Formats: sequence, C-alpha cells, structure tokens
Amino acid sequence: MTGAIQYAKRRFESARAALGRGAGTETTESTADLGAAGVHVQLWLLAGLVLFPILVAVVVSTKQQGIVTSLPDLLPGTYAVENYREAIVDYGFARFMWNSLLMSVVVVVGKLVVSVLAAVAIVYYRVPYKDLVFLFVLFTLLLPVPVRFVPLFQLMNDLGWSNSLLAITVPYIASATTVFILRQHFLSIPTSIVETAKLDGVGPLKFTLRVLVPMSRGVLVGVSIIMFVYAWNQYLWPLVIIDSEANQVAQVGLQLLQGDVQGGQLSWSLVMAGSVLTLLPPLALMILFRKPLLETFAIQQK
Amino acid sequence: MSTREIFDGRLEAALLLAPTAIVSAVFLYYPTALAFRTSFFESGFGRAPEFVGLENYVSLLGNPEYHSSVLISVVFAAIVVVGVIAVSLYLTFLIHEVDAGQGWYLISVIWPYALPPAVGALVFLFMVHPTLGVLTGPIEALGIELDWFNDGPQAFVVVALAAIWKQIGYNVIFMIAAMKNVPDALTETAEIDGVGRLRRLVSVYVPIMTPTLFFLVIIDTIYAFFGTFAFVDLLTSGGPSNATNVLIFDLYREAFSFFNFGTASAKSVVLFLVVAVLMAVQFRLTEEYSYYGA
Repeated sequence: MTGAIQYAKRRFESARAALGRGAGTETTESTADLGAAGVHVQLWLLAGLVLFPILVAVVVSTKQQGIVTSLPDLLPGTYAVENYREAIVDYGFARFMWNSLLMSVVVVVGKLVVSVLAAVAIVYYRVPYKDLVFLFVLFTLLLPVPVRFVPLFQLMNDLGWSNSLLAITVPYIASATTVFILRQHFLSIPTSIVETAKLDGVGPLKFTLRVLVPMSRGVLVGVSIIMFVYAWNQYLWPLVIIDSEANQVAQVGLQLLQGDVQGGQLSWSLVMAGSVLTLLPPLALMILFRKPLLETFAIQQK
Repeated sequence: MSTREIFDGRLEAALLLAPTAIVSAVFLYYPTALAFRTSFFESGFGRAPEFVGLENYVSLLGNPEYHSSVLISVVFAAIVVVGVIAVSLYLTFLIHEVDAGQGWYLISVIWPYALPPAVGALVFLFMVHPTLGVLTGPIEALGIELDWFNDGPQAFVVVALAAIWKQIGYNVIFMIAAMKNVPDALTETAEIDGVGRLRRLVSVYVPIMTPTLFFLVIIDTIYAFFGTFAFVDLLTSGGPSNATNVLIFDLYREAFSFFNFGTASAKSVVLFLVVAVLMAVQFRLTEEYSYYGA
C-alpha cells in the first residue's frame, strides 16, 4: 500500500507541476464544472441510460402489440397479465424457466460441495502433490467453454448425454474460480481456531461442517450467487447440446422467440415479457444478496 | 509452529480432491486434447476422420475470410474494452463523489452484471430496430439513417454498444472497491492544493487503481472475445456480409452449420492460444504491479 501511495504522490506532484503556479484559477473552474448538484445530474442521466433498455422492456411487455416507435409511446399498457400468461403458458417459458432453474441449482450445489471439499484438502491437509492438484485445477481457467465446446459436443454424443440435464450441468461442476475463492477465504481464518479444533480432536468432516461452513457463510452465499448468475446466463453450450424444446433453457427459449418475431408471427410485447422473465431470477438474487456478493468479489481479486 | 495443515490422511485428501480433479480431467482437459488431435484431421458428420497433418492450420493461414474474422475480433475487443473501462471508470468516480444516495446509484449501474446476454441482445434489437425501434426515430432525427440489418459498420456499433452495456456492472463492482481504497489523506491533500475533481481522478485515483484496471482490461478482453456470442447470434448472426463475424461466432458456424470439425478444432486451438496469451499477460502484470495493490 505504501508503494501505491508514493507512486500516486509522484504522479500527483507532476500533475500539480503541469497545472502551473496559477492554481487558483484552475480551482474555481474545475470545482464549478462538477459541483454536488452536477454530480447528481450526471448520475441521473448516466444511470438512467444504463436502466433505460430494461425499462423499455418492462413497458413494452405490458402493451398489446409492442409497437413503440417513438418515446411518447413509452407509457405502460394494460396487457401485462395476458402477455406474461401467454409467454409462460403458450410459449413454453414455464418449461424453459424450470429447466434453467434446475440447471442452475444443480450447478450451484454441485460446484459448492465439490469445491469446498477440494479447498479443504488444499488448505488443511499436509499431503504431497496437493499444490500440483491445485495448479491442475487453476489451469482450467485457460479452458473456457468457447475453447472446447466442439470436442465437448462430440464427447457428449459418445457418452449419450446429449439433450440431457447431465450435459448442461456436469461439465460445469469443476470450478477453478470457486476453489480459488474458498482457498483464499480459508487462508484468512486464524490458525488459532484451526489449532483449537485439532486439540479437540475434531475430524475433517466435523471440522468442515461445524467450523468452516459457519465461518464462511458470507463467502458461500457470494460464490453461490456468482455461480447461479453464470449458470443461468449460459447460452452457447445449451444452444449446441440441447435440441428438444422440452429440455431447453430460458436463454435459448428467447432465441426461439426471436426467430418468430423477426418472421412477423409474434408480437414484440411477448418477446419482451419473455426477456423480463428471464432476467428476473439472477437480478433478484443479485439485489437481495448484493452485500455478500460484493465481499466475495473483493476476495476474488486478491 | 502454527499451521493450518492439521490433517494428513492421504486417502482422505485424495477423495476430497477427486471430484474436482476428475471433472477437470474428463470435461476440461480431455476435450481440449481432443480439439488438438481433431485439428490434424479432416472430420465431419458421417465421414471417417482422415489425417491431414497441418493442413487445417495452413488453410486458415491462407483464408482471407478467417483473417477478416481475426481483425474484426481484435477491433471489436479494443472498442469494447476501451468503452467499458471509460464509461465504468467515470460512473464509478461519480458514485464515489456523490454526497447522498450512493447505494441506490450503485445498484442502478451494477445490475447489468446479472443481465443475461440473450436478454440484452433482444432488448437492443427492439430498441434500435430499423423500422420499429423506440430509439430509431430520435436517432434518425439526428440525421443518421439506421440501416444496420444491411450496413456492416452500423451493425458492428450496435453489437459493441450492447456488449459494453452488459459489462459495465462487473467493472463498476471492482472499480468502486479499488477507489474506496484510495487513502482519504490523498484526496484531502489534492483538495487543499486546489486540484479539480477530474484532475484528481486522472492523476490520483487512476494510478492507484492500476492493478484493478489491468485485471479488468484482461477480463474485459476475454469477455469481448468469448462472452459476446449471444449478442452476435441474436442481433446480427455475424452479418451483414460477415461484418460482425467475430472468432467465436465463426467457430460456431464452422462446427454447427458447416460441420467441419477438423477446421473448427483448429479454430478452437487458435482461440485457446488467445486465452493463453491473455492469461499470461495478466499473470505478468499481476506480478509486476502487485507492489502497488497489496
């Protein structure tokens, strides 16, 4: 941290030199350009821009046709119930959302259990080669889905898993990110607590469930949200490996709607209803658990 | 001596590591090895794979369409990364400076972290649809004829804007944490010395945030190359005339429209090299700059 401060001070000195001795005039000018009210105004504008597309989606999803060709048309309509009912029942979103939920929950629970076990071995066991295994896991960061979805597709065909829940969950269960975050967190738990557990003769299972899990609630919630958002938002892999509508996830369900609306057989208000539905689960979880989520991100970067 | 390594059962440790290690080996390493192997074969549905050596790579080297796909991806990544970092940095700075309502402002700009790319793509498709879009009228009133179903550069801009929008949330999450770590004393000194706000952002905050910014540049580059497939697929399908045919979409088409698994595998290997280089750069930068961040 001291290094950072010194570095910043140096940069800061040179900036001041650049400003010259007449700093007085600079001050009035630059404080005027961004007063307290100015900050609010800019934030309203920019945050408004970030929110705008989704507000459009929500408004359009309540209209009859979804033809909104000008800004004054952006008044909510009265067809919300019909549109959402139609998207859920007639266009299969009940099914798509259920499949997405199933996929995401299986991935989250699977990753969590498997990664906790691995992190416990890596942090709390004195055994040879465990660092090699950790490296082996970390190196999978080099192998994201886009790099291997073609051979993975062939592998799934060989295993006979195509078009199944197994295909969209099992390949996601190993997680370098989760193991890494959990390891970082475990390393921050004071050794005194660990040694007390040892003196009490607590076994690994009891130690994990009685000591580690209670001390890691925030991180476990945080990584669960990260993994849920990741799994729920998967698009490419389900698109490739799931070929029946009955097993399809919400993201690809949207792609099916897109084809229909471009062909003119479907109203945009329905597509927007489907979009809002697909956005809701990850968004709700993120907002509800934003505190542990942000704390977990802080660990990830260390 | 104090230690965390309180257990020593080898079998137990192996059992604990086994699920992660086995899934990594079978579903991550093995398919990657398979991609390397298949890249030396001519292979597709209903054909016996035929060994062709380096031919797939050689034909990529001489393929102008692939070259343009590489170029498009690089330009796309550059625009997305610069756009995301610039917008997010300024938004983070405003939230850092605001005197009230910080929590609300923060949530209203970090929420796109949760946004599914497919949803983002469809909302953009609707907003700037050449005939129906709610923003089409206002944009055309500015004298720009919206025709991105046929106009390559316009399509490129639409996909890039959608991709930037989605990535703002993730960036602000990391930037706000880094900016909060700037010591108050520095801000105060700067204020006393009459350094204006924007100047403070550029000369005081950005240098201290360098490690975070490097981290985000790499993450955003990887995102631009690999995380934007849904935007391309739903907005433009790589068109018009391949103007948005980024590498990941090109690979998808090679494998699942043309079923050339050999060529597709060679393209996968190229993408793997892209990730590897980016990760290596990140690793080096992290080492070099950990001095400032720790």
